[in-house]
Amino acid sequence: MVRFSQFVRRTPLAWFNLTYERRRLLTSLAGVAFSVLLMFIFRGFENALYDSQVQLLKLLNGDVVLISPLKNNMFVPEQIARQRLYQAQAYAGVEAAYPLYTTTAYWKNPETRRTRPLRVIAFNLSDPVLQLPGITESLRQLQMPWTALLDQRSRPEVGSGAAGTLTEVDEQQIKVVGSFELGTDFASGNGNVVMSDQNFLRYFGRLGPDEDSRDLSTIDLGLLKLAPDQAPDVLARTLSEALPKDVKVMTKAEFVEQELNYWRENTSIGFVFSLLAVMSFAVGIILVYQILYTDISDHWSEYATLKAMGYSNLYLLGVVIQEAVILAVMGFIPGCLVSAGLYKLTANATGLLMQMTQTRIINLFIATVLMCLISGAIAVRKVQTADPAEVFGL
Amino acid sequence: MTRIASSTAVQIRQLSYFFGQGDLRKQVLYDIDLDLPRGQIVIMTGPSGSGKTTLLTLIGALRTVQQGSLQVLDQEIVGLSRAALVTVRRNIGFIFQAHNLFESLTASQNVEMAVELLDRWGDKRQKAVQMLSQLGLADRVDYKPSALSGGQKQRVAIARALVNQPALVLADEPTAALDKQSGREVVTLMQELAKSQGKTILMVTHDNRILDVADRIITLVDGRLETDESLAS
Repeated sequence: MVRFSQFVRRTPLAWFNLTYERRRLLTSLAGVAFSVLLMFIFRGFENALYDSQVQLLKLLNGDVVLISPLKNNMFVPEQIARQRLYQAQAYAGVEAAYPLYTTTAYWKNPETRRTRPLRVIAFNLSDPVLQLPGITESLRQLQMPWTALLDQRSRPEVGSGAAGTLTEVDEQQIKVVGSFELGTDFASGNGNVVMSDQNFLRYFGRLGPDEDSRDLSTIDLGLLKLAPDQAPDVLARTLSEALPKDVKVMTKAEFVEQELNYWRENTSIGFVFSLLAVMSFAVGIILVYQILYTDISDHWSEYATLKAMGYSNLYLLGVVIQEAVILAVMGFIPGCLVSAGLYKLTANATGLLMQMTQTRIINLFIATVLMCLISGAIAVRKVQTADPAEVFGL
Repeated sequence: MTRIASSTAVQIRQLSYFFGQGDLRKQVLYDIDLDLPRGQIVIMTGPSGSGKTTLLTLIGALRTVQQGSLQVLDQEIVGLSRAALVTVRRNIGFIFQAHNLFESLTASQNVEMAVELLDRWGDKRQKAVQMLSQLGLADRVDYKPSALSGGQKQRVAIARALVNQPALVLADEPTAALDKQSGREVVTLMQELAKSQGKTILMVTHDNRILDVADRIITLVDGRLETDESLAS
């Protein structure tokens, strides 16, 4: 308690020295905020690129997933026999089985008349496969032939997807009857379209001689809904052993992990963005060091005087560390706020999943404090060499 | 405390000091013997490079003594650790040629920084204001140094040096940066405070206009004590 009351009553030299010159303080804070911003943006992109890949996978309503063994990521257009799904449904513990069909189709922008590839997701409308607001309400409209829902977070080049819009998919007329929000990823390209399995058959069941026509007997993804007391991993193992090797059975968590691993191992996303974040951290250290060093040089003789008066090195160390922490806290807040705005902007422009999570805020706050402390530790070596005898100017 | 302090504030015996090392080692002080009685105002003069400031910093426990004996306020400082030297310094008031005040702190806060060294928290502001008032700055207590004249700044620096009632005050050309009138004022104030509180003052100066405040004038030439004359007051 005695220590604390001393701390409160002590003249807050660090605070006064930092805030004395307003303009310099503002530029210093802008510098700290900028490196905070860079770290947020790079971390945000890295996670957006990963998170976006699996957002559809995470939303799928199922505990166990059946896919082709060749489909090691969502890009691979390999199907399995629908038969396998119904075989799996016969096992104890399985409550329901939903087939899911996906394909890539060219969507015409109704305004510019240019086409862009979109991912089509189709399922039986009586199966609760994708329970997103917008989809569950539009099931009745989707029953009509030649209709679909357009992802509102598709890239803007796809064009307006307001209900009632008439356009073309793979050169066949389609009517947009509503919208939902999902977002883009590498496999979906520009956005998503949801339709019924019957409409899927209408559009992609009778393609030209050069293309593989689709029918409902092969599915891209099988989803199994389990009884509440059934452990997914146990059932997934049982099914793997029981079913023929032309199908791969995984729990949903494993499926998500497989997708993430594919992008981690086959792209440089992680390395590139981690490197960029580390570089922003290093730039931050140099910047804060400069700020602290300037403060120390400017107050060189005053600090030396304090030492002559009887202040210890430890006290001066405290002043510099306090300045570092003040800079960290005051720079972090605007940096974090601007980042939140930029996240929103990026999410709207690209459809990527930019999430300002609590964990990331805490982690980056710790990183910022650490950054300032490292700078403080380097800068403080200079104060410690302040020789009080020098002040007498020999 | 009834411990009777000896009548000497500083006792120097056979003090030598060298700068540099090896072949570049150069002696700057030669066998200095000097006693400063308590309550005396001593002015030290001499040509530049004669070792005045070095001697001052040695007495101020700002440098490590290499040869000889140096007792400051009844404590032998030869062989003391750096931490112990810091403690010795807390009983000494330093006044420099430059005022060395923090621009970001008010006059009072600058003085309070010194009071805080003694872990006195309750009345630090009161003590600072009282000291500043004695130096004629009662109406400038909450001004920042940038709003004060040169003489006023130096008086704040003096307040900071004297507020803890040090028994020994070391001053290095305190009037060098001041005009004649402010310099005179500053020195007179120091003299009055020293006399009323029985302080020992050792002042290095080239300023002939203020020699009359001294009880004693010593001259250092080429690292040796050349003259030592007491003035009848």
